[in-house]
Amino acid sequence: MAKFETPLLDQLETGPWPSFVSDLKRQAEHRAANQDKIEYQIPVDCVEDILGVVELSFKDKEVHWKHGGIVGVFGYGGGVIGRYCDQPEMFPGVAHFHTMRVNQPNGKYYTSDYLRQLCDLWDFRGSGVMNMHGSTGDIIFIGTRTEQLEEIFYEMTHKYDQDLGGSGSNLRTPSCCLGESRCEWSCYNTQEICYQLTHEYQDELHRPAFPYKFKFKFDGCPNGCVAAIARADMSFVGTWRDDIRIDQEAVQAYIGGEFPPNAGAHSGRDWGPFDIHKEVIDLCPTQCMWMDGKQLKIDDKECTRCMHCINVMPRALRPGKDTGCSILVGAKAPILDGAQMSSMLVPFIKAEEPYDDIKEVIENIWDWWMEEGKNRERLGELIKRQGFQRLLHMTGLKAIAQHVQEPRHNPYIFWYEDEVPGGFDRDVTEFRKHHKR
Amino acid sequence: MAFISSGYNPDKPMEDRITDIGNRYYGDFLPPVIKNNFGKWQWHEILEPGVLMHKAESGDEVYTVRVGGVRLMSVEHVRELCEIADTHCDGYVRFTTRNNIEFMVDSKDKVEPLKQDLSSRKHNEGSFKFPIGGTGAGVTNIIHTQGWIHCHTPATDASGTVKVVLDDLFDEFQKMRLPAQLRISMACCLNMCGAVHCSDIAILGYHRKPPMIDDEFLDNLCEIPLAIAACPTAAIRPKKKEITSEKDGSKKEVKSVEIKNERCMFCGNCYTMCPSLPLADAEGDGIVLMAGGKVSNRISAPKFSKVVVAFIPNETPRWPTLAKDVRKIVEAYSKDARKYERLGDWAERIGWEKFFEKCDLEFTHHLIDDFRDPAYYTWRQNTNFKFTDPYEYSAIKAE
Amino acid sequence: MADEELKQKVIDEMTKKSGSKTKFYFNDLAKIMDMKPRPAKKIITEMVTEEKLTFWSSGSTTMYSLPGVGKQTASEGESKED
Repeated sequence: MAKFETPLLDQLETGPWPSFVSDLKRQAEHRAANQDKIEYQIPVDCVEDILGVVELSFKDKEVHWKHGGIVGVFGYGGGVIGRYCDQPEMFPGVAHFHTMRVNQPNGKYYTSDYLRQLCDLWDFRGSGVMNMHGSTGDIIFIGTRTEQLEEIFYEMTHKYDQDLGGSGSNLRTPSCCLGESRCEWSCYNTQEICYQLTHEYQDELHRPAFPYKFKFKFDGCPNGCVAAIARADMSFVGTWRDDIRIDQEAVQAYIGGEFPPNAGAHSGRDWGPFDIHKEVIDLCPTQCMWMDGKQLKIDDKECTRCMHCINVMPRALRPGKDTGCSILVGAKAPILDGAQMSSMLVPFIKAEEPYDDIKEVIENIWDWWMEEGKNRERLGELIKRQGFQRLLHMTGLKAIAQHVQEPRHNPYIFWYEDEVPGGFDRDVTEFRKHHKR
Repeated sequence: MAFISSGYNPDKPMEDRITDIGNRYYGDFLPPVIKNNFGKWQWHEILEPGVLMHKAESGDEVYTVRVGGVRLMSVEHVRELCEIADTHCDGYVRFTTRNNIEFMVDSKDKVEPLKQDLSSRKHNEGSFKFPIGGTGAGVTNIIHTQGWIHCHTPATDASGTVKVVLDDLFDEFQKMRLPAQLRISMACCLNMCGAVHCSDIAILGYHRKPPMIDDEFLDNLCEIPLAIAACPTAAIRPKKKEITSEKDGSKKEVKSVEIKNERCMFCGNCYTMCPSLPLADAEGDGIVLMAGGKVSNRISAPKFSKVVVAFIPNETPRWPTLAKDVRKIVEAYSKDARKYERLGDWAERIGWEKFFEKCDLEFTHHLIDDFRDPAYYTWRQNTNFKFTDPYEYSAIKAE
Repeated sequence: MADEELKQKVIDEMTKKSGSKTKFYFNDLAKIMDMKPRPAKKIITEMVTEEKLTFWSSGSTTMYSLPGVGKQTASEGESKED
């Protein structure tokens, strides 16, 4: 029945974790049976061919795809990645097999109606194989032919009010944690700012004019569930500047063992009775907590908001009410000069509509990077090449001690001429009157 | 297979065109209990592995059942989860950043039927379709990239390696018995389109051979200046070569390139620009294992993962050495680390020399950084080491 | 310089180099026009809409070329598709 024998892939059908092989086989059968009499717009057996080409890779231990430069739909410089099989005669169903990126709703909530619409479209005009979701956050449609790209885009925009995501030297599809929708720790509405900036910067997202990719990610709190600090050129991480809210009765309930520590996250092992000193106070990185009789005290001015105590006692402790976010910049994966995490630029900014201050920071950075970034240079690399001071200058910010982990180790300060009294132009003749040659 | 038009007119692409509309508004997809309590959540608790309860100031509760999602899924699979959402969750569902699927209900009595439905669904050969788990101090879903299913520069497969590691660690996905959460990530080449460089454990595909040069065809298929410019280490130079034609045996001079092998870092960027520079190789390609990174600011600062196994071959279809090495790390960490201690914090507390001893992993010269400036900061500039074998001069002297 | 003249300048420059190089970074085009990136983008976007320029992408980086020019277009087989 199956088009290809897949003895190697078949061995990935056993074991408890969901088998992508079983799923692909089901999809192949679904297309072959075609109970809904769909006029499939790309070869009906393309999923059989996926199984065939992946089986071949498992046998050869080498990949069988080639890259293509197709970027998509008319007028857009991103959202589609060209893909071709290097064994097109063996696997004609996937000879041309391009990827489309579809901009996900922020927080990744869906209605089944909407998901089904996407499924129907993708089954009809593509392979019916997708990623929920790709690394950057988009819904990924895996595999369609060139002539279907415009058709899919047309239906998506006209029928489903849905646009593509970013790729190439664009603003990449911004993403966020689920934020205030279901998390008590979120310090701002991550979904709203993500949505608004996605819409504000559609031109940057679709029409490449950057030296390289650029990513925004929005984490609601320092726990960092979308890994903004590791992955985004501009990382927005929620924080607060007033006091941690304490419910002393609930603190006692934790001490008394009524509430499970860390919201029950450790319940699979017997770690012994909860010990607030050992598990919270002694682990506080700034040592700013103590018990005063039955009262838990926090010296909030010393707190660096690492979230540990709040994570351990969520019913007793909550972030403060004067919330906003920190902006850190320059993260990237290792290639080329090593991985970078984002560096602190703005310790605190209110993240409230219409986000004018945040847009100002973004646009100042883009102006600098677009003009002075080399081709294929990420923001983090530009900051390294030209220096953090240059970043401050271009964003119009003063240097503050929060910008560094520690001050510089060397005294090789490149003084600006206007910082030194009298400047750099001096009279050597005058000098020689007092200093013999 | 008749072509059916969507209404798009290829002769007039701008006619009736809709662009720049962005994504759909998230507010239209929120379940009522989420919408009603937006920004008003008070606390949460993990009731059992995979089941969370969030309490709102209003007194409302939302119960979430989290299941492992395979990032690669068919529309049939998505339709099935839509059916579950319709049956139990009024047609709402969400996905997490780590490719898990979350089904939410607004009262406790709806949890058990939902759980039973999810656990009962299995694929033909017996794997779970929707395994419940992935919460708290355990292993959650492995985020990953495309691998052999769709990428052109992978050094290993993604879905396959993830499947075998999660099969092996399935208990840890469903039980919350580790010292802290353990985040595993997978990227199938060093370009890391899925950033794995700050994960507790990172599985990274890595090539070890420079590209081959298809001299006869290179000038026909690619623009040489682009291939040269694509190389991040400037290892590629233009070169005219005398070759014997594969087609007719004649000798001729062609425009091609040469590669300084010792400069190549095996990134495949040249292959992206030029299909005549393929680098995939059955023996050369495999996996690098990294460990000890994190992104959370909790207790200690976010940190990078470190390379702990320089190379694991591509043992298809089930990568036994990979699964074994990952398990060794997880078991040693589970046994030895303190409550709340992330893997990297544990390794730093005991010292990396102890990490290798406890995990029974061999330390080789490949694990000492020699790449550009940051390398120096990873060498030891103190005398505060621990004694783990071998360490004495006579024992480490080359034979 | 008027927009139309700038567009022609870009086309002329790209045509001149097309023997050895057919794909250009955005900043290369901005330099040809001797303009800052933001105003340059407006003109380049128009050229794309007018089908005077097309995109090429490595997936991570995007480049611009003259329509139908360049070796990889042929190697991808899109031109001789059935």
